[in-house]
Amino acid sequence: MLSAGRWAARLHLPTLAVAGVVVAGWVLLSWRYGAFVLPSPLAVLHGLVEIVRSGEVWTHTGASLGRIAVGFGGAIVVALGLALAAFVSRTARGVVHDALAVLNATSVFVWIVVSIIWFGLSSWAPIFTTFMITLPVVASTLVEGVESVDRRLLEMGDVYRLSGRQKFAAIVVPSTVPYLVAGMKVGFGLALKVSVVAEIFGVTSGIGYVMNYSREILATQMVFVWALVMILVMLAIDSLVFDAIARRLARWR
Amino acid sequence: MAVTLEVAGVGKDFLIPVIDSVSFSVEAGEFVCLLGPNGCGKTTLLRIVGGLEPPTRGTVTLGGEPVVGSGRHTRKVGVVFQEDRLLPWMTLRENVELVQKPLGIDGAARRATAARYLALVGLAGFEDYHPARVSGGMRQRAAIARALAVEPDLLLMDEPFGALDAQNRRIMQNEVRRIWRETGRTILFVTHAIEEAVAIGTTLVMLSARPSRIRELVRNDGRVERSKLIDDLNTMIMEEVERQQRSAPA
Repeated sequence: MLSAGRWAARLHLPTLAVAGVVVAGWVLLSWRYGAFVLPSPLAVLHGLVEIVRSGEVWTHTGASLGRIAVGFGGAIVVALGLALAAFVSRTARGVVHDALAVLNATSVFVWIVVSIIWFGLSSWAPIFTTFMITLPVVASTLVEGVESVDRRLLEMGDVYRLSGRQKFAAIVVPSTVPYLVAGMKVGFGLALKVSVVAEIFGVTSGIGYVMNYSREILATQMVFVWALVMILVMLAIDSLVFDAIARRLARWR
Repeated sequence: MAVTLEVAGVGKDFLIPVIDSVSFSVEAGEFVCLLGPNGCGKTTLLRIVGGLEPPTRGTVTLGGEPVVGSGRHTRKVGVVFQEDRLLPWMTLRENVELVQKPLGIDGAARRATAARYLALVGLAGFEDYHPARVSGGMRQRAAIARALAVEPDLLLMDEPFGALDAQNRRIMQNEVRRIWRETGRTILFVTHAIEEAVAIGTTLVMLSARPSRIRELVRNDGRVERSKLIDDLNTMIMEEVERQQRSAPA
């Protein structure tokens, strides 16, 4: 965990000042247009406390993160396979490149609609959407990592007759891991945003579902509460997981 | 252990002929310096000898075994490149241990050998440092320790001190000379610095301008005075540089 000093350094004064201005503006606008259009910060805070107390926050966040774990996890596994193929075969590298370019050019909405047609109103729809959207992101960075392995180091491995497996473990993997972590960081951010959109349709749990439900029952403050939850989850995972891994990887630099 | 290097009629074309035909042999325990004007194919010749590149013509044998492009022979070759080529994510010790793995040496012995050669090159106490934490000279020392750790029949060095400053260069020349005396390895050392070659080599091979042949092969056994040898070699290299410039397409 971060010490008090580090927190103080992170939340530096100018940022706090800007936050203060935003909150003040928020209060004024909420006053002017009413709680249905823009609920006050206090109402949002109340809502947050309420869902934390009732445990509802864990149910829906857990459901969303569970789907992300499956969809994004699957994307990482497949991306590793693609990167390996691209490393082993030049032909495969070309195919993977082109396939990823096509996937990258496909809209989120295509996958949402298609997944509802294919999987109906089930958890598999957001899982599949998350998978299809994060796969090209993670795989592209991984393939890039594999391609940027220093040929001179591989040649050094040849001089000393390292076997294919030894070169892979000692040279290829360590030089690709930073790309994997970078790809996962970007991919996770995307996964959270995309899976929530896909949850609007056809499922009865998850942050996306509950946000849309709150809108339908005219509980605008809850829409803001869940948006806040999403932001907090994103920030927490970024600093607790990805920043920690990045720091560990930078040890030898 | 004691094997002879035989370079016979070796030539290499890259679109244009770079090396015409070069032949020489190196006895076990010799310290051969390969000299020549820039671009005459010194590094290419070294890479061919090391089995990193196939020759267009000719053969290279090490202890009677042909060295082919893929380096599939049983002789052991150590190479110190212009850059250190250490794995940055491994400590100096791990780098030196890694190259012993294909030799089927067990972990404890690898560790002992790594410690011995790191100490020989003056890196005792720095075994657990990562390359980024030590100086360029120390990284090149570690690369030499790595090359020695496979107990090579032939040690190839390709302008290993090119990136070092003058002072470190001088220190490393003395060190390599000492390491050569202490280990008795056969060394083929590429350099473009004549003073360096005369200071450390027992045999000096001067290549001509492109497409290169051997211009001169000198035994540096003290029979010719050093300063005169340096002067003669300097004259030769200037002639070759001029020849190369004249023949270069405008």
